[in-house]
Amino acid sequence: MGVKTKIVDFLDVRLGIRDILEQNLTKYLLPRNINVWYTLGAVLLTLFAIQFATGILLLIYYIPNTADAFASVQEIMNEVPFGWLIRTVHAVGANIIVLALLLHMLSVLFMASYKRPRELTWVAGFLILLLSLGMCLTGYLLPWSQLSFWATTVATESSSEIPLVGDAVVRFLRGGAMVGQPTLGRFFALHVMGFPLVFGPLVLFHLFCVRRAGVSRPPFGEDYRPSEPLPVFRHEEHPEGIPFFPNYMAKDAAVIAFFLALLFAIVFFAPGLFFPPAAFDPADPFVTPAGIKPEWYFLWAYQTLKVFPSEFLGLAVQGGMVTFLLFLPFIDRFRERRPAKRPVFVTCYVLGILLFVGLSIWGHYS
Amino acid sequence: MINSLLLFRTVLSTVVMAAVLFSPPSALAQETENSCLQCHESQPGRLGEPVTLWRTSIHADNGIACHSCHGGDPALMSMEAMDPDRGFLGVPVETDIPDFCGRCHVGVREDYLKSAHGRALGKGGPQCVTCHGNHRVMKASPALINPQDCSRCHEYGRAGEIKGAVEETDRLIGVLEGDLAALHRAGIATREMEGELFSLRNSFHRLFHSVEVERVRAETARVRDDLEKIRHKVEQIQQTLFVRKVGGGIVVGLLVVAGLLAAFIRRTYHEEEA
Repeated sequence: MGVKTKIVDFLDVRLGIRDILEQNLTKYLLPRNINVWYTLGAVLLTLFAIQFATGILLLIYYIPNTADAFASVQEIMNEVPFGWLIRTVHAVGANIIVLALLLHMLSVLFMASYKRPRELTWVAGFLILLLSLGMCLTGYLLPWSQLSFWATTVATESSSEIPLVGDAVVRFLRGGAMVGQPTLGRFFALHVMGFPLVFGPLVLFHLFCVRRAGVSRPPFGEDYRPSEPLPVFRHEEHPEGIPFFPNYMAKDAAVIAFFLALLFAIVFFAPGLFFPPAAFDPADPFVTPAGIKPEWYFLWAYQTLKVFPSEFLGLAVQGGMVTFLLFLPFIDRFRERRPAKRPVFVTCYVLGILLFVGLSIWGHYS
Repeated sequence: MINSLLLFRTVLSTVVMAAVLFSPPSALAQETENSCLQCHESQPGRLGEPVTLWRTSIHADNGIACHSCHGGDPALMSMEAMDPDRGFLGVPVETDIPDFCGRCHVGVREDYLKSAHGRALGKGGPQCVTCHGNHRVMKASPALINPQDCSRCHEYGRAGEIKGAVEETDRLIGVLEGDLAALHRAGIATREMEGELFSLRNSFHRLFHSVEVERVRAETARVRDDLEKIRHKVEQIQQTLFVRKVGGGIVVGLLVVAGLLAAFIRRTYHEEEA
């Protein structure tokens, strides 16, 4: 009897490990027509794990102090063994995560997988997206570069347009009148502790919802019909489906490998793709660099603020859009999930993507 | 009751919309330029021309603004900005120009005043703006030594010899500046090397102003030795970056192969499932 079998036997007697593995791997059946978009969840879990690991390694050398932060990042990049790799993977990984999150959200929207009974899965997923953007924003300040300082100054300044409480909100976010040590301190605390503390349980809840309700069947194929709303809970079974392991996990592995190839291709061959020149100079509150722009995923929001005659109106529109998306499953209560039978939704969907891309390009060149 | 509620909502939305539409413009859109530029730019002729010229100068590229040379208070939006009590200097007379520019370019002023050019100051000899221009101040480079400009006052012969002695070294400085900027953009700590290069470049460019051929040749050789040391360091870093790229290429290649392999395995299952 091999060592592996002995270990499995030991665990099986005490925890019923074989049953757990069977129920969640080999006997966990997925719809036969499941497509590649369903792999994005596994891709995101892998990328989050990489962010978590590289983040912990960066914490060993990073100093959250305005006098030392930039120098500590320079030390990580130039002195610490493989520090350049860890830091670049962390910074580029954040961008790849946002890309994967957006693709995941768009695929769920297109296939209407957010509909009953998966409203809570959607809400948890959307909150994960918002928290990820929050972690990107707070992480942006930590290197204490010119880019960090001025991007955070502009981002926090926009809150001043909120009527009555605007200035108080800005002071609360910055911990003072200007971006400084109190801002760095609170952004650091949020980035490494506050947001992850909420983020972890949310991811677990999202996975629990996915597993509990069952994977939704893609709304394609001639035999697809919208299901009737159930008055009681029922796990969606796919008795004629394919096993999660090894069949679908092979596809998961393939897409994860391609995403990692993209991540490392940028890290090794285009590390400056997401770093404008201002990212390499220490923060100087007395010198405003030319052409400071937010990251690509905030360009749409940046341009929205400029399109409207006042920033408050821009903020209100952004807030309205985010709230609408968050509660979409409770607003769109039609049973139909097939895109071909949802022309109004698909039109709005395509226009929404074009608007996002258009505003982002406009924001980049404005 | 319903009508009153409707009226209240309409009035409220009108007030909110009005407040939003007529609130101050975005802070992002506000220009933060100084009063010198704001007043002079719109003026015709000789009062406005310096702004246009300055915008394409080496000074503008490096953030040296009007008040850096002319003094005054650029925060004031009135004529008081040009009050001599606020340090305003205005336009210097020709013989004061070397001292005017020499407040920053100390070494250059020193070498210039000792040179044949400096000794001829006020007697038809050239001063700073003769070669570098005023407002559209041109970067110090061998290109400023040319038959057209030098022949305005004397024969080009010696000037040509100086240019020949410094041209290659100046080109190397330019190449190293580009290399260091690229390394800086890759997150490499280049500040120390940039400082060394900046210092070497300044002492090298200061040298031109002595207009002594033998001294320029001797000093250029010393500068080249120091530049070679910087180039050696830069090449070592470039080699490290190249090795990283090779390693990265292998990692990316392996990941792509792993992805293709997994996709192929999935395809075999797909055939089984059919």
